[in-house]
Amino acid sequence: MKISVDGVEYEVAEGRTILQALDDVGVLMNGVDIPHYCWHPKLSIDGSCRLCQVEVEGVPKLQIACNTPVAEGMKIHTQSERVQSAREGVMELLLLNHPLDCPICDQAGECKLQDYAFEYGQQHARTQEPRRAAKKRVDLGPTIVFDQERCILCRRCVRFCREVPGTGELSVFSRGDRSVIETFPGQPLANDYSMNVADICPVGALTTKDFRFKIRVWFLEDVPGVCTGCANGCNVYLGVANNRVYRYVPRRNDAVNQTWLCDPGRLSYKRIGADDRIDHAALQNADGIPVAVPLEEAIAAAAERIRNVVATKGAGAVGLLVSPHATNEDLFVARRFLDAIGSTQAGFAVVRGRGDDLLIKEEKAPNASGARALGFEDAAGLLSRTRGGAVEALVVMGHDVLAAPYAESRDALERVDTLVLLDTHRSPLESIAHVVVPVRHAAEKEGTLTNFAGRVQRVQPAVEPPFEALSEGEALWQIAQALGLPGFDDPYDVRAVSKALAQSVPAFAGLDLDSVPPDGAPLAGAGD
Amino acid sequence: MQKAPFVTSYLTEHAGDDAFATLAGYRARGGWEAARKALTQMSPDDVVNLVKDAGLQGRGGAGFGTGMKWSFMPKAADKPKYLVCNADESEPGSFKDRLLLERAPHQMLEGIVIGAWATGASKTFVYVRGEYAQPADVLQRAIDECYAEGLLGSDVMGTGFAHDVVVTRGAGAYICGEETGLLESLEGKKGQPRKKPPFPAQYGAFGMPTTVNNVETFSHVPHIVKNGPAWFKGFGTEKSPGTTIFGVSGLVQRPGLYELPLGTRLDEIVFQHAGGPLPGRKVRGVIPGGMSMPILPVSQLDVPMANEFLRERKTMLGTGGVMVIDDSVCMVRVACVVTYFFRDESCGQCTQCREGTGWLHKIVQRIERGAGSREDIDILLDVCGKMEGQTICAFADAAAWPVQGLLRHFREDFEAHVEHGKCPFPQSFEL
Repeated sequence: MKISVDGVEYEVAEGRTILQALDDVGVLMNGVDIPHYCWHPKLSIDGSCRLCQVEVEGVPKLQIACNTPVAEGMKIHTQSERVQSAREGVMELLLLNHPLDCPICDQAGECKLQDYAFEYGQQHARTQEPRRAAKKRVDLGPTIVFDQERCILCRRCVRFCREVPGTGELSVFSRGDRSVIETFPGQPLANDYSMNVADICPVGALTTKDFRFKIRVWFLEDVPGVCTGCANGCNVYLGVANNRVYRYVPRRNDAVNQTWLCDPGRLSYKRIGADDRIDHAALQNADGIPVAVPLEEAIAAAAERIRNVVATKGAGAVGLLVSPHATNEDLFVARRFLDAIGSTQAGFAVVRGRGDDLLIKEEKAPNASGARALGFEDAAGLLSRTRGGAVEALVVMGHDVLAAPYAESRDALERVDTLVLLDTHRSPLESIAHVVVPVRHAAEKEGTLTNFAGRVQRVQPAVEPPFEALSEGEALWQIAQALGLPGFDDPYDVRAVSKALAQSVPAFAGLDLDSVPPDGAPLAGAGD
Repeated sequence: MQKAPFVTSYLTEHAGDDAFATLAGYRARGGWEAARKALTQMSPDDVVNLVKDAGLQGRGGAGFGTGMKWSFMPKAADKPKYLVCNADESEPGSFKDRLLLERAPHQMLEGIVIGAWATGASKTFVYVRGEYAQPADVLQRAIDECYAEGLLGSDVMGTGFAHDVVVTRGAGAYICGEETGLLESLEGKKGQPRKKPPFPAQYGAFGMPTTVNNVETFSHVPHIVKNGPAWFKGFGTEKSPGTTIFGVSGLVQRPGLYELPLGTRLDEIVFQHAGGPLPGRKVRGVIPGGMSMPILPVSQLDVPMANEFLRERKTMLGTGGVMVIDDSVCMVRVACVVTYFFRDESCGQCTQCREGTGWLHKIVQRIERGAGSREDIDILLDVCGKMEGQTICAFADAAAWPVQGLLRHFREDFEAHVEHGKCPFPQSFEL
């Protein structure tokens, strides 16, 4: 059906409310400004903040856009004098008891109260009475701190806990202007998604213990990326400043993570700048001790050792244990490396853990589906063949292979003539690897990842590692160059690799990294 | 136990008779014959149309057409449908429903059964205000009698129609008298009104189609069925037919209940029926319909008590709770009481109501203390304007209207406080 908003016609779906319909067509707060607090696209409608009132022709009273169903031919005015005056009224009342402590509030800079006060607020307060005093710094649970004074009681957090994780820890206690959000005694806000309440809190009432007071948000650059905590591939913005990632916040993608992010995934940004990053290349000396070497030396040594294995045992003795943390492009290089050297010894290992029905997937890596799509099979076969002596030179990406169900594989890894480790973080594998090459995290490189449902999504460099590191693809490329393998003559270029992947693997047709839309696209045949 | 009203008509004719509260006594006065007639001789649509023709308006405060409300109930029988009898009677100044519950419970139950037949409801929840322990007990006894005599249950009067009546008790919140706040409370949740749409007729108690009617509204129904719309329209005004029970309270000689036709003049109620002011006092103003309705000054009491006339004077009939204020009372004090009440009872969902009720009370208190300014008076009106008509339910209007009314007619009291820095009424009542 057609509705008209401020004289512009929109084709919208029946059965939606005005805000929902405008959100559906992508113009809400993006062409059509209807300020709102309690309404959230992924939560039930509350209708209580009353800020989204609009004028509907033929209806005497202003109507809340969040709960008013669209009707054919409906004419809506969002900027009329009456609407503006209603917004000013709501803002004055919301600010009546607000502490106005922006200078010490961590939400400042991304606060809807600040934004709308700027737009619809008055320059001075007409109150004389002291503002309502309430509890500050309430510890709601392991992740969230609550400031009752700043709360505008939009109840998004209450609805979130009830409707999304279904845990319902938060509730409004008391009534009228004594209403406060609280937890029940002895039942803290503790669920796998608790930190989302800080995202959806439009003001500075709910903040995460992890991020609060780390940095002012206006110093952060929001770089779109993908969470690498599990196979879901939740879309995030990486908050970056000073070449450091300060946080992940969810980036809306209705096909993947809606507007949410799980707590473990959200905190996985810490892996990027972690102390246990492998920050230098190394070669094992005669005593079995890893010794730091320049990166080129490690690449050359890896090539040399592989060349020897090929010479003595044949190319079929060279194996590749790839990582589901690597990008599709990295894995495509691995596939080409195997083809060029003439081996079929390959597999990937992925750590499994607890999953749920919401976002958290059992596979704790972002690209196991990409590995499968590129023809890699589970590492069990490769490991058993390695144990049996069929593989003598093994290039291992990552250390997922140390986890169950592969844990018994360590003896297989220890017995090979050559173990080349391409990894981001330190692990016991370092001590048995003959060559160690530091590699880049997904937040430090260009590429694409394929989530559990076969959705290909792009990552890009948000930060530069403070040490020399290569993507797994580039490391393999350089080793292949040193080996003189055919097809690796050009300098490594991830865009060229990505184009070749899209051209030569049908599932990835049209999915080179410059063609993947911001919210990703399904593998051919994956459906969506 | 409530005493019988000073003036009676069909609703309260027998309210002085203790036996009228029993099934035997009610039957002896012709009780339950209207329900038998409806269930055996009339189709549900016939009953709805009859009540529409009679023009019965809800007596809970809003005055919405009862037959119209019943007609909103879906015809489909795919889900259970419910009636709710609103016996929360929480409006300050209202005490008529208590009388009907205590002295004439069968009259209301008969109206409920007729309403259930008309709307296809399988169950009625009677939501009784928490403080009404005795009325709830009397009602429960009447319900027990009905079950024992086959007037409720799986086979009402042998007609095969099934209907249950359940009494639930409130816990003392004003807002649970608002129909959707009531529904939330009925479901065991915090009493906070629901946004509309959906309306209760689509999504009511426990998600089922539901119609909410007031105690008195149901009580009129047997009389309409028994005597017909023409008879009913013989009472009251053209647009507001029937009688209603006015509860007169405040500073008058004979506070109490008076069943009078709608359209009875307010001055007649106050000066004639209720005996006028106490000796040596003068009436200053009258709140015509419970505390949430704007006050009228003594010069404007020549108004028929029906919405079509009261609206012209910017007030409404509400619940018919007539509160009389005399010349010993400062209207700023009244405003203090009113704003305190609404600040305390706001459920706190909507911004304007949650914050506005608190602000109004703070400003009025400041004026009462003598610390207010002329600007404060303007701010009061401005805040009322921001609250009015902008919230989920009518509570914010109910909080704003009385303040607007007091300022409309008694601004001089407020100005005197502001100018002299104190209350001009030395003997005003204690807060």
